[in-house]
Amino acid sequence: MSAAQRLTQVSGHMGASKSGSAGRAKLLQKNPDDIVVTACLRTALTKGGKGGFKDTPAADLLVGAFKSLLERSKIDPALVEDIAVGSVLPPGGGATEFRAAALAAGLPVTAAVRSLNRQCSSGLQACVDIANAISSGMIEVGIGAGVESMSLQYGPGAVTEFSELLESHPESANCKVSMGVLSEQMAKDRNVPRSLQDAFAASSYQKALKAQEAGLFDEEIAPLKVKWEDPKTGDVKEITVAKDDGVRPGITAESLGKIKPAFAKDGSIHAGNASQISDGAAAVLLMKRSTAEKLGQQILGKYVAASVAGVAPLLMGVGPWAAIPKVFEKTGINKDDVDIFEINEAFASQCVWCANELGLDPKKINPKGGAIAFGHPLGCTGARQVSTLLYELRRRGEKVGVTSMCVGTGMGMAAVWVAE
Amino acid sequence: MLEFKTTGFNGYAVKYSPFFDNKIAVAASANFGLVGNGRLYILRLTPHGIQAEKWFDTQDSVYDTAWSEGHENQIVAGCGDGSVKLYDIALNEFPVQSYEEHNREVYAVHWNLVAKDTFASSSWDGTIKIWSPMRTASILTLPTHSCTYSTAFSPHSPSIISSVTSDSHLRVFDLRTPASARNHLVNLIPIHGQPPSSNNHGPFSPPSEALTHDWNKYRNTIIATAGVDQIIRTFDLRNPQGGPVALLRGHDYAVRRVAWSPHLSDVLISASYDMTCRVWTDGTAIGQNAHLGNTALGAGGRELGRMGHHTEFATGVDWCLFGSEGWCASTAWDERVLVWDVRSFMMG
Repeated sequence: MSAAQRLTQVSGHMGASKSGSAGRAKLLQKNPDDIVVTACLRTALTKGGKGGFKDTPAADLLVGAFKSLLERSKIDPALVEDIAVGSVLPPGGGATEFRAAALAAGLPVTAAVRSLNRQCSSGLQACVDIANAISSGMIEVGIGAGVESMSLQYGPGAVTEFSELLESHPESANCKVSMGVLSEQMAKDRNVPRSLQDAFAASSYQKALKAQEAGLFDEEIAPLKVKWEDPKTGDVKEITVAKDDGVRPGITAESLGKIKPAFAKDGSIHAGNASQISDGAAAVLLMKRSTAEKLGQQILGKYVAASVAGVAPLLMGVGPWAAIPKVFEKTGINKDDVDIFEINEAFASQCVWCANELGLDPKKINPKGGAIAFGHPLGCTGARQVSTLLYELRRRGEKVGVTSMCVGTGMGMAAVWVAE
Repeated sequence: MLEFKTTGFNGYAVKYSPFFDNKIAVAASANFGLVGNGRLYILRLTPHGIQAEKWFDTQDSVYDTAWSEGHENQIVAGCGDGSVKLYDIALNEFPVQSYEEHNREVYAVHWNLVAKDTFASSSWDGTIKIWSPMRTASILTLPTHSCTYSTAFSPHSPSIISSVTSDSHLRVFDLRTPASARNHLVNLIPIHGQPPSSNNHGPFSPPSEALTHDWNKYRNTIIATAGVDQIIRTFDLRNPQGGPVALLRGHDYAVRRVAWSPHLSDVLISASYDMTCRVWTDGTAIGQNAHLGNTALGAGGRELGRMGHHTEFATGVDWCLFGSEGWCASTAWDERVLVWDVRSFMMG
C-alpha cells in the first residue's frame, strides 16, 4: 500500500487523455512476464556492390552480429535456446549457413536456429517469433536476428517462375510486379508528388548525417572486421567497418530534384528517394523480465505487441498504414502515446503517404533518418530498427516506440516497444 | 454557489445526508490520497455559508463515505489502509467501529437503500464486503478478482448489489441466489462491448478501467457506468448482453463519479479528472426525441450543461434529495467543496 503503488494506480486513470484508454500507462508497467530486450545491435549498413561488406557473405555478417551480442550481453551462450534469423534472398532460406554461423559465433550445438522469410519484415518477424516462443513457455532465452547480403544475393534468382495457374489469377499475378513499378503507380494514384518525396528523402539524409556526426549510431553499431577487395587494384585487405557508408552530406530536396526517374519517364521515384541496396545484419537478445533479473542482464526495453496486416499486392506500400492502427488496437494506445515511429523508408512515396494518412507528427518519424539514407538490407531491417529505436528512446529519455514496414506482395507489420 | 475549503485535504467524495437537507459529508485525503492522513468532514449549510460541524481524522486516506439510511447520526468511511470505519456524528474523534478485513485501499462504500440494515464496501483487493452496524465482522464477501473501484446496492431491491472494476466489467450480484461457486453473481457485463445496433462497425473500444457506476432511481434495470475511457454508458439489465444503451461522450479525461438524479429519470451528473462536472440526459425522457423522428432508446443522449469552477480533478458529486430539483454538491483535488444549482449551468 505504498504511495508509489497508489500513484501508479491513479496515473493509470490518466493515461488516456486523448486515446480513450489507459494504454500508455499500462504499457509502462513492469511485470515479471514482460518480454524484454537485454542487448540489441547491428552491423554498419554498407552499399551493395561497393561498400565495406560487398565481399562478406550474409552468414559471416551474422557471425559478427552474434559474437558482438554475446560479448555485449555477457550471457552464457548455453542459455540461448533458439535463434530465428530473417532473411529474404538466400537460396534455401539460408537455413544451413545460419545454423553454421551460430556455431561459428560460439553458440553451442544446443542453441537451435531457423531462418524465416516474410520479405522486408523478416527481421521483425524473427524478433516477434522469439518473443512469442518465450511468452508461450517454449523457450527461456532467444535471439531474433536479420541479415542480408544484397551484394552477393540480390537478383532474379530470388523468385521462381510463376506457374500458369498463378499467372491466370489477377491478384496473384500482381505479387511479382516489381516494387519500383508498383510504387510508382501508387504514388501516382495516391497523389504523392515528387516534390514531397524529395523533401522527405532529403530530410532522411540530413537527419542521418546529423545523427552520424553526433555519434548517435555508435551504441547500436557493432564494428566488424572483414576482408575487402579493392576494385581498382584487386588487392584484398582486412578493414574494420563501423559506419554506415550510405549517409552523405550535401543532399537537399533541390539536389534530389535533378535525378532522373528510375521506373517511368514521367515518374517520380528515383535512386535518391528510394531505399538503398545494402548489406548488414542485426540481432536482438530476448527473454522474460524475471529471467533477465535472475541473470543480472541489463534491460534496454521491452517488446509489447506486434501486428501483421495484408493489403492488395499492388498497394504493398500502404502496409504500415494498415498494420499500425492494428497494433494500437491490441495495445490500447494511439499515435499521441508514441514517442518515436521507426517506419522503414522502402520508398519516400509510400512512407510519407502512410505517415500523412495516419496523421503522424513528422518530428516523431525516423529521427535518425532511415533506409533512404543508410540502406535497407531486406531481412535485416526489422531487427535493425529495434536497436535504432531503443537507443534513441533511451537517449531522449522517452518511452514508447513503434517499428513498422511495408512488405512486398502486399503486407505490413508493426510492433510496439518500450524503452526502459 | 456556496464554497467550503478543505484546506490541506484533497476531496474524494461528497454525500448529502438522507435525513437533513443541510448536512453534507466529505471524504478527503492529504497529499492527493497518495500518502498521509484522511479526514471525514461533516458540513452544515447555513444562511452564512457552509460551516464545518465537525471532522474525524484518520491515519490513512479517506476515499469514500456513505450515510446510514436508517440512523441519522451514522456514517461510514472507506480508508486507504483497507479499514471501513463507522462513525456516530454525535460523538467526537473516534469511530464507533473499525472494520479491518480488506487488504487494500477501500475505494467505495454504499448503504443498503431498501433494507437499510447493511452496507457494502469495495476495495482494490478485488472483493466487495457486506457489513452490518450490529456486527464486528463482515457478513459476506463477494470476489470480483479485480480492483473494485465502485459498489452500489440497487435502490429497488435489498438483495441486489453491483460493482464496476478495473477489468472493464459491470457485475450484478443477487444475494438471494443459493450459495455456489458463482458467489451470487448473476450478471457479468463487458462495459466496452458494442451496442448491437452498431453491427460492430462502430469505433473500436478497448477494455478500460471502470471507476464509477450508479443505479437509476426510477427505472429499476438501468445502470450508468463510467471510467478511464471517458465515456458514460447506460446498461439495461433486461438485456445484459445487448451492450450499452446510451453512450455519453464529452469528458476529456477519466470520469470519477456518476450519480442519477433523484428527481428526473433521464438525468445524471458526472465528475471527471478534466475538472468539470457535467449534467447529461440519456435521451429517454418521454417525447424528448419526437422532433428527431428517432424512437431508439438512448439515441438522444447528450450533455445538458457543465460546471467548470473546480481547478483540479473533480472527484465527487452528489444530488440534494430535498427541495427543488437541481441542487448538488461537488468536491475536487483543489481542496474545495462547491454547492451549486445545475440549472444555472444549463446550455441554451
